[in-house]
Amino acid sequence: MAVPAIARLDMDPHDARGPPNLVVIAGVALVGLAAATYSFTSALRNPAVGAELGEALVIALLSNWLTASYVLCGLFAWWRRPESRFGPLLVAAGFANFVSTLSWTTNDLTFTLGQALDLVPPVIFLHVFLAFPSGRLSSPLERGLVIGAYVAAVALQLNRMVFGGFGENNLLEFAPHEDAALLTLRVALLTMSALCLFGATLLLVRMRGRARPLRRSSVVLVDLFAVGLVMIAWLYVSASFGGPFVQEIRWATFATLGVAPLVFLFALLNARLARSAVGDLVLELRAEPPPADLRDSLARALNDPSLELAYWLPDFGVFANLDGRPVELPDLEGRTTTLIDRDGEHVAALIHDPALEDEPELLDAVQAAAGIALEYNRLQAELRARLDELRGSRARIVEAAQHERQRLERNLHDGAQQRLIALSLELSMLQARIGSDPEAKAGIERARRGIAASLAELREIAHGLHPAVVSAHGLAVALEQLAARAPVPVELTVDVDGRLPEPLEVAAYYVVSESLANVAKHAQASGASVDVVQDGGELVLEIVDDGVGGADSERGSGLRGLADRVEALNGRLRVWTPLKGGTRVRAEIPCV
Amino acid sequence: MRVALAEDSVLLREGLARLLDDAGFDVVAQCENADDLLLKVRSFPPDVAIVDIRLPPTHNDEGLRAALEIRSGHPSVGVLVLSQYVEVGLALKLLADSAEGVGYLLKDRISDVDEFVAAVRRVGEGGSALDPIIVSTLLARQRPGDPIAQLTPREREVLELMASGSSNQGIADSLVITVRAVEKYVSSIFGKLGLPSTGSESRRVLAVLLYLRS
Repeated sequence: MAVPAIARLDMDPHDARGPPNLVVIAGVALVGLAAATYSFTSALRNPAVGAELGEALVIALLSNWLTASYVLCGLFAWWRRPESRFGPLLVAAGFANFVSTLSWTTNDLTFTLGQALDLVPPVIFLHVFLAFPSGRLSSPLERGLVIGAYVAAVALQLNRMVFGGFGENNLLEFAPHEDAALLTLRVALLTMSALCLFGATLLLVRMRGRARPLRRSSVVLVDLFAVGLVMIAWLYVSASFGGPFVQEIRWATFATLGVAPLVFLFALLNARLARSAVGDLVLELRAEPPPADLRDSLARALNDPSLELAYWLPDFGVFANLDGRPVELPDLEGRTTTLIDRDGEHVAALIHDPALEDEPELLDAVQAAAGIALEYNRLQAELRARLDELRGSRARIVEAAQHERQRLERNLHDGAQQRLIALSLELSMLQARIGSDPEAKAGIERARRGIAASLAELREIAHGLHPAVVSAHGLAVALEQLAARAPVPVELTVDVDGRLPEPLEVAAYYVVSESLANVAKHAQASGASVDVVQDGGELVLEIVDDGVGGADSERGSGLRGLADRVEALNGRLRVWTPLKGGTRVRAEIPCV
Repeated sequence: MRVALAEDSVLLREGLARLLDDAGFDVVAQCENADDLLLKVRSFPPDVAIVDIRLPPTHNDEGLRAALEIRSGHPSVGVLVLSQYVEVGLALKLLADSAEGVGYLLKDRISDVDEFVAAVRRVGEGGSALDPIIVSTLLARQRPGDPIAQLTPREREVLELMASGSSNQGIADSLVITVRAVEKYVSSIFGKLGLPSTGSESRRVLAVLLYLRS
């Protein structure tokens, strides 16, 4: 089975990156580990670290765990998900964390650099959380927040360093001032705290906004890590004003931030777990009978109940549903369209939740599994679209003919028939006035008889063109006349609520009229029944006789015309005519 | 006798008015559509309203609806419906409750001036007038074990005239027999058809009509 090619509508071609070179990955990993090791040893060698933070070993281990885990998890994510920027972002976060730990060194330059970036790690976490899972910040607000936070973190810290309080390695201590140092510290910490809280709020809003049933639990777990941001904010406020639980929250923050990259990794790669759903899909598609609606099966496999499937109909140049009705591909926020192609031709389009984009492997696997079934359904949709088209054109032809005949009937009625009646009346009145000339009277009488005969003929013609009584007074009234004029006793039952659409009534009238005419011509019946019942959304007509039955080609042509009328209205006409078993004509026409 | 007319063809409307005028009727209203007729009937009820079944604006059933409305709202006004097609179903609809003061004739009949005038007068006086085509269609209707077949040709003629609304005197005149003879035929027909004998001439129209319909 050929695997269908896949093209994402909304994807920039430059984004289609391959996985990074393994040598590069190994190199970066080594650099990351070396950096963490260097930072760890610097911390142990620097007694000030221990004095300031307490248990130097623990702090150094945790900080460098952050560096190493972000770099390594980032690399792994980059390798497995080259299309996502999230891997590189994690790697960058790890290295940024490393740079901030340079404040543990005793070299003036590296110390100053490390101190200057001391407030950056929280911003990195903020950035990472907001950018999960694509690696991109999705809204201008998020971009503004992250850029602003980076600028603030560096600027406020530099400002603070000018007033001293960082020991002798600080190259930027130009104007030592204790009060100013404390003030700038508080401003910096409060600002960072506010930014972290703002970021956490954004995450919360985003979570609520896309309360998607399909989001896997691991993704939700990632969102919950936003609580880490709140804890950072708390730490900063406590550090500047001496709030409670500082130590406990510090450990919790380290733990949260430290576990985060593993959770990110797990969430990104979680698609593998969804493979079992693809296995179920394959089994489902092989079942006998195959599932009636492929959409439901795909929705289950993709875990997206909102999934819509549209099939490409090349001859119509549109996407359509399984019934062949055209479907507009949405151009909406919150919906993503994935085109499924085969041999350079569209087959179908999946309209799904954008969250599925995070799982391209699952999308690919599901499409591969559904390939043949999709093509089969596409053909079905195409067939139905063609049937619809044919039905529509037949309905239009029948309607146009009907319309024309109705127009002619009305012209006859309002024109020739009225004028002849007026003429006949004129003659009668003339006849009364001319007095005693018997020859003239007889002549006028002949003329009147001629007019009467013409009127009778015209009436027949007009009725043949269009049964005006049906349009004007409805089926029930019109059928009385047919039953009364039938050559055999007819039992007529009409159970219809009020009037029905005119084309339907006219078609039904012709079905009864033609069927009774057949009874007269062929059936040799002693009786017949006509039942007209409105059953739910359908008009059901049944004309039954007790005649000789037996199919008859002459009868066929009239019935064919009837079937055309009935089918043009989406109805069905069936005839049972067993030899010596009478004839039953049944028409079912939807009342729309 | 006062007559109101509703007919959308000017030619026919004026012809009819002239005919009725010549015959001594007082044509009090000539209307083009059903609403106008109903208005005139309400404000100044005539003895009989002559209504074309197909009236503007849609030329569907406006005339029939106006006729039915006059029948239910103004029982004292006779209604004579004219149409270019006569249908059993419409006759049954018009005569649903009673055959009193109601008529349903093919439009062609107006040129048979004497008979038409008689029909208008009959309807105006509370009698009935049913087109011979309706009657003959119903009589010709096939029914199992048809009792109509047991009627003598003369009884059949009487039945036809009776069903189209003729009075006993009218039947006697048409067939050139005495009224007593007509009465004898009528009771014999009712006996053969198994119908209870009803006094009023218009009530027996409905009885016969319903009998023939079933």
